[in-house]
Formats: sequence, structure tokens, C-alpha cells
Amino acid sequence: MKPVEVETKSGKTESGKKFFFAKISFPLFGYILKRILIFIPTLFIISLLTFILIAAAPGDPAETMLSRSSAEGQASDKLATERSYRELRHKLGLDLPVFYFAFTNAAQSDTLIRIPTKNHREMLDRIVYEYGNWPQIENYYHELKALEFAIIATKKDSTNTNALIELRNTVAKIFIHHEDIVLTGLFADLKTQAALATNLADIKAKAASTEAAYNKVKSEATVWKRYIPNIQWSGTHNQYHRWLLGEAKWFGTETDPTKGKGFMRGDYGISFFTKRPVKSVIWDGLWITMLISLLVILIEYVISIPLGISLAVRKGSTYDSTVTVGLFLTYSLPVFWIGTMAIFFLCSPDYLEIFPPFGLGDATWDDGFFYKIGDLAYHLALPLIIASYASFAYLSRQMRGSMLSVLGQDYIRTARAKGLPDNKVIWKHAFRNSLLPIITIFASFFPALIGGSIILEFLFTIPGLGQITYAAVIQKDYPMILTNTMFAAILTLVGYLVSDILYAVVDPRISYSKK
Amino acid sequence: MAAADTAKNKNEQGYWAFVNKQFRKKKTAVISLYIVIVLAFVAVFAPFLANEKPLVCKYKGELFFPVLKDIAVGFGIGEFQQQFQNVDWKNLHYDMVVFPPVPYLPMNQDNDNIHSKGPFDDQVVPSARWKHWFGTDELGRDVLSGMIHGTKIAMTVGIVSMLIASVIGILLGSLAGFYGDENFQVSRIRLWGNLLFLFFAFFYSFGSRSYDITDALGRGLGEGFLQLGISILIFAAVMVVGNLLVIPLKKIPALGKQVAVPFDLIIMRVIEVLNSIPTLFLILLIISIVRKPNLYVIMGIIGLTGWTGIARFIRAELLKVRNLEYIEAANSLGFSNPHILFRHAIPNALSPVLISIAFGIAGAILTESTLSFLGLGPADTVTWGQLLSYARQIPQAWWLAIFPGFAIFITVTTFNLIGDGLTDAMDPRLKQ
Repeated sequence: MKPVEVETKSGKTESGKKFFFAKISFPLFGYILKRILIFIPTLFIISLLTFILIAAAPGDPAETMLSRSSAEGQASDKLATERSYRELRHKLGLDLPVFYFAFTNAAQSDTLIRIPTKNHREMLDRIVYEYGNWPQIENYYHELKALEFAIIATKKDSTNTNALIELRNTVAKIFIHHEDIVLTGLFADLKTQAALATNLADIKAKAASTEAAYNKVKSEATVWKRYIPNIQWSGTHNQYHRWLLGEAKWFGTETDPTKGKGFMRGDYGISFFTKRPVKSVIWDGLWITMLISLLVILIEYVISIPLGISLAVRKGSTYDSTVTVGLFLTYSLPVFWIGTMAIFFLCSPDYLEIFPPFGLGDATWDDGFFYKIGDLAYHLALPLIIASYASFAYLSRQMRGSMLSVLGQDYIRTARAKGLPDNKVIWKHAFRNSLLPIITIFASFFPALIGGSIILEFLFTIPGLGQITYAAVIQKDYPMILTNTMFAAILTLVGYLVSDILYAVVDPRISYSKK
Repeated sequence: MAAADTAKNKNEQGYWAFVNKQFRKKKTAVISLYIVIVLAFVAVFAPFLANEKPLVCKYKGELFFPVLKDIAVGFGIGEFQQQFQNVDWKNLHYDMVVFPPVPYLPMNQDNDNIHSKGPFDDQVVPSARWKHWFGTDELGRDVLSGMIHGTKIAMTVGIVSMLIASVIGILLGSLAGFYGDENFQVSRIRLWGNLLFLFFAFFYSFGSRSYDITDALGRGLGEGFLQLGISILIFAAVMVVGNLLVIPLKKIPALGKQVAVPFDLIIMRVIEVLNSIPTLFLILLIISIVRKPNLYVIMGIIGLTGWTGIARFIRAELLKVRNLEYIEAANSLGFSNPHILFRHAIPNALSPVLISIAFGIAGAILTESTLSFLGLGPADTVTWGQLLSYARQIPQAWWLAIFPGFAIFITVTTFNLIGDGLTDAMDPRLKQ
């Protein structure tokens, strides 16, 4: 590429080309490096933000996963269910603290998160809030658990079946209540229900000791602890660290297959919904979205730059005014509306059937190369048109505006006064300078396209990043959402970087070395 | 001072008069403004335009205004008369009755016209008065009524979310632009002390009282606000105490040293991070962790993610303004920095923000309809995007694809055109 006028200042001895590379390329390389270094903290903050948002989400993923795979079992299965539930939580790392540290108060315990059932955790958290003495509360919880298992383990016979069922229901209620009045009533119920049958002495004793433990919680309350701030350090053994960096060894081979490698090393975890590794799902979607986005950008720039220039050159003509109004209207048409209409009228047997309404084609591995390309093109044609029209209109308007402002500059007037032909003035003098604003727009285009992929892929059922994200949001599949958001952010940052580089290439006046 | 004030007012009036004049010159912008006024009218009077209840009726010799009554009931004042509870309004025997132009509610199903009857299909209606002019959807709900009530939703979302975004954007953007990285100087101890006490204040007001507040909110708004008020009082008290404690410590030279708070750096980094996540991804992320997205949640999310543009706009404006003579004059008159910022700098930088607010409203309406179209919008109301999304399921129902989409298009376009007109009208190059 040839540099423009500015080189005359200092590039006397060198040829234009050499000058260009000497002046731009090397500092540019340093600049790129610098930008990439700045990306790292940005990405780190994004990862933190998304991770914490998702950690705050209601619901217990392990609970939903388990209830999907196995229905609530019999009383005798309860132990097994609980064990598998605990194992699943451990496997997903949900029994770990969320972050390296936490701001809490002195009453709260760092072992609460290990309690498997979500309802129980909430109940215990409330009791801690009310009484502030974790050791006693923990003791109470263990007594309650022991009581529950005693009830489950007791052999049923004709005399005690009803009593056992009622006892189980009462204990289940105790597990989720924290209000003093309710609990007192429930403990009284326990006593009467245990007295219904004669062979329940063990349960009676356990019920009494549970109630005693509860009374101890009340009598030895330390509410003041709630008002003492406390910082809990969890070290590297936490969910965030596990997700970002993984637990596997960094060097050498890891023998334990259960230890993940973390996001930084390309291990994105397992989808809650499909139970497949997130990685395998995402890569397929990523290249489709990338392909579509790059094609859209190509189409937009190839059409809108010449169109914008031709409009600017013929400013004020009927051609200019009609096309400009048309572009404005096009730009305001919502993509999802036009998409729906296009599918409606162009892909349906009721009206016109020109394009396929969904998917990426049905070419298989064995089909010829050209068939595959042709099939893909046939399926992508309409999505590409829909994805590009809006920003193409916007871009053309911008190109027209920037060309007009360049054409109004003094040096263009000078060039014209010199007697240069119009063509030369436009392409040699004005063109490159008018490109600058368009390139700035590129930086915001790329994220818009990635975000827009959600709508586009939803409309045309294309299995790209957007569609995967949409499905993950509907299914509340958090590892998937987290990874997709991270990739969307990475792609956006890459887009910013590319636009910076393009800027430098187009405008040799910009020097990144002085920054 | 008084003379200076009036002079300034006069000048300001002159500026707005000028902008007004320039704006009026652009026909498209003026027409758009009228369309927006019409849309606002439809939005405000939606219950009177489309309702199953009569506007006025004479029933058993008495005169009633059921729509007005309905609004009063909605506000919690009054209750419907015994005879009107759970009645089929359409088939009562009135002595005299005036129904709204569209005699249907958007959520109510017309069982005679289910399975999406189009405007030109045979509809089972007693007379043309009861015709579904824009057709019905799969459940037999009137599309025109949905569109009228959807106007209300769209306008509310656009305006409220932009209000949230503007408040955040103007505040943060002006802090960044006005103070920059060096101009906000505080003593070291005050800076660190405030950060520390911010933590304590949050801890004692909200951290230690979390369940008190949520329980109270669960019992009712009144009690909830009382508890929230107590928390805010505690917060303020801790901050005041903290700042009082700082005063004696400032005497120690090492602690009293002035340091600059790099507002610009911090705020610009926040904006950069937010801009690095594509907005729709960010919004979907937040929606995924909300139990049930209702209208308020949607407006909040759009507002909280949409302020960066406004902040950058006003920052750029204030970077220019802060070096102007009148700021210097105010400075030399001994006004405090906050006074100058809020009384002089922001008001003068505000007018260009109007442009980005106009575009922002268009963007917010578009975002809301996109979310509704994706099936992630507010579930408790009918919105344009939602109506449009039904079209995907019923391939014959062209009226579901055309009318709501056109409404979105018109609204978005008019706000964009107003933004465009404002841009031209406020172009400083025109002023000379």
C-alpha cells in the first residue's frame, strides 16, 4: 500500500514503501502488543462480572440436573439420592466457596455451603441470622439429620406405619422452617406422633435431643456476632479459581481425570443441560457465527463504500435524495421484523418459495465440494441479506457524509484548482481520508454483529453462537452462558483491535509510537 | 449577579429559540414529532381506546363509567359494584351504552374467533362494530387492542429506561469529563477513610439487615420502605461519622497529603468493560438469572446497560466546557467545584445529550421488542414484539407479521428522525 502526502517531511532519503514500513509497522506491532496486554485485565474483569452474576442466580443446578435424571426415590433410596447429590455437587464444584474471599459477619460460617440441600442451606442461613451461633446450629442440624435417618431406618410394621409417615412429614417441615413459633409447634407434634406407636423409643429419644439442641441454639444465642464484620479467606480452593484456572497440574500430565483444566486452558466445563463438554458445542457454533459475521462485513463494505461515494459525488441530485431517504428507511427497519416477513413471504409454500426457511443445509460429508459450497450458499443467502441490510444502509449514509466533509476541505479545492480530473481527486486525494470514520464504525459493528447473531440465528435456526446462547438462557445452562459471554467478549475485543490496526494502515499520519 | 443571570437566561433562550427554529426547518423531524405526540396520546388513553368495558353506560336506570372506575380500582381507590363483578360486559342489557372504539382487551380471548382469524376472513361477530379489524391471534385475542396497549408498553419502556440511563450516564460522564484524572483532590485519609466507611456503612445498613428488609418487603410495600429507610439512615449516619473521624487525622502530614481521584480512568474503564460484552449478550445474561422478567426488570436492565453512550457524550462535552471562560470565572469567584459542575457545567453540556436520548429511546424500544420477540420479554403484558413472535408459529397469519412490525418500525423511525433533526439543529457550525 502506498503512503499519502505526509511522507515528504522526513522520508527524503528513503523510498515511500520502506518509509511506510519503517514508520508504521514496527511501532504498530508494539502497539498491538500493548493493546493485547490491556485486554487481559478487561477480560479478567468481564470474567469476574459474569461469574459473579451467574453465581448469584437463584436455583441449584445440581438439584435440577438430578431431578431430571432420577425421580425422587423411596424412603430407603433417600440415602443413595443424597449421596449422589452430594457427589454431583462436588463434581461441579458447588460445595466450594464462590470466590477467593468473602465479606461476611462473624456469625456466618464458611462450612454452610457444604450442606447439600438448598432448602436446608436457606433454613440454616435464616437461623444463623436470627441466633448467630453456628456451632450450636450445626449441632442442631446434625441432630435433626440423625432423627430423619432414624425415622427412615425404623422398620415399618402394622402398628407404626401411620406414625412414621406423619413423623417424616413433620421432620420435612422442620427442615425448611426457621420461625420460632412454627418450630415449637412442630416439635410438639413430633412428641405426640412418636407416642402413637409403642416401638419408637429410639425416635422419641432422638426427637427429644433435637429439641434440646434447638433450645440450646435459642438460649446460647449470640446475635451480636452479626454486627461484626469478617473477611473469610478461602484461598485458591474456590469456584472461580476452579473455573478460570482449573485444578489440574499446569506442568506434566494430570493423572486425576476429574480435575478440570479451567477456562484459560480451554476447558469450559460441562453443560448442565446436555451434559456434553461445553467446548465441543461451542466450537461448532463459533465458526458459523464468525463466518456469517465476516461475510456480512465484507458485503456491507463492498457495497456501501462505492454507493456512499457515488451519492456524495452527485450531492443534491434526485438520485442522491431518493437513495438517501431509502437508506434511512432501510436502516430503521427492525431486523427481526424484516426477517420474519422474509421467511413469511419468501420461504413459505403459501406465497413464494425462493429460499429455505431454516438451517445450514443438508450436505453430508460425502457430497462433493462444490455441492457443499453451493448448498451452504443457498441456505446462507437470505440470512446474509437480512443481517447486512441495516448496517449497510447506515454505513452508506456515513460514507456519504464523510466523503462530503472531505470534499469540502481546502486541499481538495486546491487539487481541483490544479486541474486534476474529478476521478483522480476523489480516488487519490479524498478516498483514503474519507475512509477513517467508516473504520471507526467497524469497532462498533463487530460487537453489534455478534449480538445480532442471537436474533439472526433464532430467526433462521442456524446453530451458531447466538442460537446456542439463546438456548442456554432458556434452559438456564450456566456454564454454557458463561462461556458464550466470554467468547462474545473476546471476539468483540478482537474486533476493536482489528479496527485499530486498519486505522493505522489507512491513515499513515497516526503514529502509535508516541503514545 | 442578578444582571448576569438574566443575561445568561436570555442567551439560553436565544439558543433554544435558535434550535427550535432550525428543528422546524426539517419537515421529516417535525412530522415525526407529531407522530410521537399521537403515539403518546394512544399510550396514555389506551384503556379508553381499547377496552371490553363500556366508556359510559346506563344500566338499570343508573349511569356508570366503567372504564374510569376500572382505572380507579387499578389505583386501589374504590371497588366495582356488586352487580358488575365477574360479568360479561358485552352481553349485559344496557339502557344506553358507549363502548370504546376497540371493544376488546388485549389479553381477553374471543372464543368465537380463535385460531387466528384475519381481517378479511369470516369472523363470528354480531356486527361490524365488534369486528376484529386487525384480526386475532391463535387464542382469539384482538390484535388491534394488543397494539394499542402495546404502544403504552413501548413508550413506557423507551422513556423510563432512557431516564435511568440518562441519570447514570450524565452523572458518571460529567464526573469523568469535569474532574478528569487530576482535578478531584482529597486528602489521602479522606479517600481511604471513605472507602473503608463505605464498606462499613453497607455492612451495617444492608449486610446485617438483609432478612429484615426482604421480610418487610414481602409483607408489604409500606413496611418494606420503612425498613429500607432505616437502612439508608444507618448508611448515612455511618458515612457522616466516618467523615468526622477523618478530620483530626488529617493533621498528620502523611495522611493529610492531597491525592487525586482518577475518576476519568475508572469510569472509562467501566465503560470499556461494558462495551466489550455485546449488549444483547449482557441483557440475556442478566435475564437468565432473574426468576421472572416483568416490565420493571426489563426497563431496569435496558437502562443499566444503555448509559455508556450518554456518558461518553457528556464527558466529551464537559472536556470542552471545563476549559471555557465562564467556568474559569466561576472558579475565580470562589464557587465550589460541585456547585460549578451541577449549576454551570452540566446544564450547558446537556443539550447535545438530548440527541443521544432521542436515539436511545428508539434503541430501547427496539431492544424491548427484540426481547419480547425472542420470548424473553415481560410475560404479564402484551407487547408488539410478542405479537410479532406469534407470526412465526402461524404461517398463514400475515396480519400478525405486518401490523405489529410496522408499529415498531414507525416508532423507532420517528425517534431516530427526531434525533437526526436535533443533530442538525444543534450543529454548532450552523450558528455562525
